[in-house]
Amino acid sequence: MKSRKIYNRISVLREERGISRKELAEKIGVNFQTVGYLEREEYNPSLDLAFRICEYFQLPIELIFSTEPLKPLSQELLEQKYRKG
Amino acid sequence: MRKKISKTKRRLGVIVNYLSLIIVVILFYIVKHEGWHNLMITGMFAALLLTVITFITVHLKTGLWKFVHTKIEQLDEREIQVTHESLRYSYSILSVILLVIIFIMSLAATGNDVLGPVLPTSLIYLAHTLPSSVIAWTENEISHG
Repeated sequence: MKSRKIYNRISVLREERGISRKELAEKIGVNFQTVGYLEREEYNPSLDLAFRICEYFQLPIELIFSTEPLKPLSQELLEQKYRKG
Repeated sequence: MRKKISKTKRRLGVIVNYLSLIIVVILFYIVKHEGWHNLMITGMFAALLLTVITFITVHLKTGLWKFVHTKIEQLDEREIQVTHESLRYSYSILSVILLVIIFIMSLAATGNDVLGPVLPTSLIYLAHTLPSSVIAWTENEISHG
């Protein structure tokens, strides 16, 4: 069965934190090329790796990964705020 | 992987590597049947040299050889997936090639043929290099170590 494409915000979050692919790779325990593949959405991470990424960025999984193309993070947070009232 | 080579160049390297190997095998059997001719022997060694050069360029310099021989504990989940895929394709490709060779040999067999060392050696080389060739052929970006 062909798996669905998983969209993510890894590259935005990494650049926001000012860290290199190599540094992120070391933190989440993968080869730095794998970070490139993740950022280009050419590779779907395992659940374990996805959680490691979320733990590193200290964000909930739904803010980093999605099966739908992701909106800008600021827009997403604003919408969440309005939903809560 | 130390040296970055574009996917197109890697693919070209894989084609040249195996084509030169086929030329070595063909020339060896021509020489064996027709006798020793300087031109044939020169051609055989030139093809062999080309096989060695392309092996160094595609497999050693890119680090692919090291990559496919790395212990599984030292690879991340994507790299494990890549090596598993390459082994799966290699197994299928090798099976087809062996079947074709067996078929050709059974048609060409005269009863007193001696196989000689070149074809078995080439097949062992093929079996051993196929996984890294598959990775060289399919991966957009390769890096290890």
